[in-house]
Amino acid sequence: MIDAALIWEWIIKSLILIIFLTVGFMYVTVYERRFLARIQSRIGPNRAGPFGLLQPAADGLKLIFKEELIPANADKFIFLLAPIITVIPALIVLAVIPWGEAMVIFGRQVNLFISDVNVAVVYIMAVTSISVYGITLAGWSSNNKYALLGGLRATAQMISYELALGLAFMGPVVLAGSLSMVDIVRAQQSSLWYVVLQPAAFLIYFFASIAEINRAPFDMPEAEQELTAGYHAEYSGMKFALFFMAEYIKMIAISTIGATLFFGGFDGPFVDQIPWLGPIYLLAKVVIYLGVLIWVRASWPRIRYDRLMQLGWKIMFPLALLNVIITAVVVVLVN
Amino acid sequence: MEDQIFVSDLPSLDTLYPGKVTLDTRSGYSGFIVPREFLLEVSTEIHDVWGYDMLSSITGVDYFPEKMEVVYHFYRSLGGGALVLKVQVPRDDAVVPSIFSIYNGAEFQEREAWDLLGIKFDGHPDLRRILMWEGFEGFPLRKDWKEAYYEGDTKPFSSRWPEGVAEHSENKNIFNDNVKYPENFDPDKWIASGEEALYLGLQKSENGKDMETESIVINLGPQHPSTHGVFRMAALVDGEEIVDLKPAFGYLHRNHEKIGERNTFLQNMPFTDRLDYISSMSNNFGYALAVEKLMGVKPPERAEYIRVIMAELTRIESHFMSTGFLLNDLGAFFTPALYALKERELILDVFEAVSGSRMMCNYFRFGGVVRDLPAGIQETIKNLAFERLPGKVDELDQLLTENEIVRSRCMGIGVLTAEQAINLSVTGPILRASGVPYDIRRADPYSIYDRFDFDIPVFYHGDVYDRYLIRIEEMRQSVRIIQQAITQIPEGPVFEGKPQYQVRVPAGEAYGRVEAPKGELGFYVVSNGQANPWRYHVRAPSFINLTSLRQMCLKYKVADVIAILGSIDIVLGEVDR
Repeated sequence: MIDAALIWEWIIKSLILIIFLTVGFMYVTVYERRFLARIQSRIGPNRAGPFGLLQPAADGLKLIFKEELIPANADKFIFLLAPIITVIPALIVLAVIPWGEAMVIFGRQVNLFISDVNVAVVYIMAVTSISVYGITLAGWSSNNKYALLGGLRATAQMISYELALGLAFMGPVVLAGSLSMVDIVRAQQSSLWYVVLQPAAFLIYFFASIAEINRAPFDMPEAEQELTAGYHAEYSGMKFALFFMAEYIKMIAISTIGATLFFGGFDGPFVDQIPWLGPIYLLAKVVIYLGVLIWVRASWPRIRYDRLMQLGWKIMFPLALLNVIITAVVVVLVN
Repeated sequence: MEDQIFVSDLPSLDTLYPGKVTLDTRSGYSGFIVPREFLLEVSTEIHDVWGYDMLSSITGVDYFPEKMEVVYHFYRSLGGGALVLKVQVPRDDAVVPSIFSIYNGAEFQEREAWDLLGIKFDGHPDLRRILMWEGFEGFPLRKDWKEAYYEGDTKPFSSRWPEGVAEHSENKNIFNDNVKYPENFDPDKWIASGEEALYLGLQKSENGKDMETESIVINLGPQHPSTHGVFRMAALVDGEEIVDLKPAFGYLHRNHEKIGERNTFLQNMPFTDRLDYISSMSNNFGYALAVEKLMGVKPPERAEYIRVIMAELTRIESHFMSTGFLLNDLGAFFTPALYALKERELILDVFEAVSGSRMMCNYFRFGGVVRDLPAGIQETIKNLAFERLPGKVDELDQLLTENEIVRSRCMGIGVLTAEQAINLSVTGPILRASGVPYDIRRADPYSIYDRFDFDIPVFYHGDVYDRYLIRIEEMRQSVRIIQQAITQIPEGPVFEGKPQYQVRVPAGEAYGRVEAPKGELGFYVVSNGQANPWRYHVRAPSFINLTSLRQMCLKYKVADVIAILGSIDIVLGEVDR
């Protein structure tokens, strides 16, 4: 039954999610810079506002006032389109993630998710794969050799992690017997968290998803030391900020998806009695997950791109396939 | 010591090749003079028969107005002293056969001599300017070339402030009068012809692939985050594979040697700090050795110990830097680099305490060091050498050496065999990582290094990983040397004689070389008895080690080039001079 109130509910929830993601993006940058600084025995940005909390505002302001350069021989339309293609999937991918059990707000039963699609996992995979086109197109349209190499690397990278990533999703899906994220969380509430039942799938998901978002140690498409900035070498001002934003929002996204698939999502003690604990638990899990991502970036050098292909095809893909087969067999035998 | 190899001494060349080689009999000079038509023959002989397989330095001296002299320093990779050959040519017909075919390491040095002195090397494969810009007219190190502003026919600064009236000597000797441009030169329309030559010089591979693929030229640098300065490599890539690569540099060129010849001997001491600005103490050391050889002075005991301690601290500091930034080049986000810099700061504290400056130390003098260790700093050094540094080197080792990504990125990358390394005049950690145990501290001991107990680490794969390992190991050995030196250091004066601004340096030539952190750092100084050196040449290790870059990079990926460059550990202040 779709009525006006439901449409308003969708709009409000979408806005809240988008605001959450953009604000989240701002504070993930501060989180990363401060945490990295701590790891590297530095202090990090602490001048703008208390504890450097206004740093993202300062950065944003700076980027707004930067000149927007478009290289003379760039393909202008694609050049403009590329950051948009990159950032939109990052923003919409979280629509299927449940934030908690249904709650009663202003006398109305509200589900804490935008949509409970019954093919949520497929939706996530489909949407996240789009953003790689943004990177490739950015690299191609910039008319810059470094950017071109970065774009090429992004395509080479995608074919090497995508299969393993998809198969890593299959473990929880087979255990829960559903492609819906809400069902996967509920299934974890009734059994153990899937990180215990599916450790191999989690590890594969963890590494493949880092490759998905082009972060260290798989940040080959941008590879500052080799390709200066890779695909976004020619971007400046807000267009650069969009790429930057996409990267950090995707970080939040894969952390949320990882926490939902493998760490019980909004599950936690007393969440049955007090439903508003759900979003808090999920947020805490996401923050810890993000911390691990930052820690990884601080610790490891970059892997070479042909080695990632080897890793993807020779190790992760067979392992993920094996994991799915074993899980399926066990599930059939137990039932 | 039981496996010591004895090498037969070389009989005097002039008795060996009578009629072709004569002894250099000028007072204060050594070595042999070879006419240019016999140079190739004699150098082939000394390379193949007498085992002088390392070409250390090639440079020229302009004995205006009589002649031009090309000076070659050869060494044996088994150790021992130098064999110096000289070729004298008339100034207006300065053509010498290139020894590139015998010693590939001559490539950049001959180009440098052509660039700065206008000595033409016949048979050199790619004789272009290397440090100066392509449109430059003239050869700046020739004595009849006058530099704008600074060198007129009169002494430039004699009357800068006559009777308190400020008069700028720039006005007396204005820019247009003494700068030569090519005919019809318009700087706005000028296009560097060298660019063409650089790109055309890149060799397309003649591979027998089925699919015809197009290769592109990528300019890595001059503005690039991982070239450690303003360094440029023109790389021909097929996909991401390097087909050919040529380095181009000189963007920071300030003609160190020209300025050095205008300075007095002592003024050059702080100037050497600016060469390899990471390790200024070693630079001081090399220059002090060369000039002390000319002057015939020897520093007192305590000064020798201080020198060794400072040089070894410099080595540790420089290796910390290079290890940290190698990891940075591999893509680690600054964590190893900052851990390394933290230790470097502690060593710089020591330098600041003894010399007053953290990086530009200017601490050595001819015949000692400028001042004694201040109170308490001996304890700080002891604490560093016995407590802090060994643990921190181990920490770096633990955190990095077994890291799977470091291993997969470094092992088998940028391989340089021992033969190639020697032939390319590579020195320092790169040479030792290729399996040649050549360290000047042992091979041709200077100062008091023969008193200390330390090992020369050698690794045999010659790849980036071994170059990393050898730096870790050398830091440990340097710590050992400091531990011995700081406990044995005697009391006493730190300077021989009376300190003076104007040292008297007798006429002659000297080549002082030290094992700097980056390799063999040599200073070739010629004095004619006057206040400033007649010739002041720096054999810069980073510059000459870059000769091997192309060889190391071929067939590897773009990402590896960055790692290989990081493992050579260049400092652009020294490369471009």
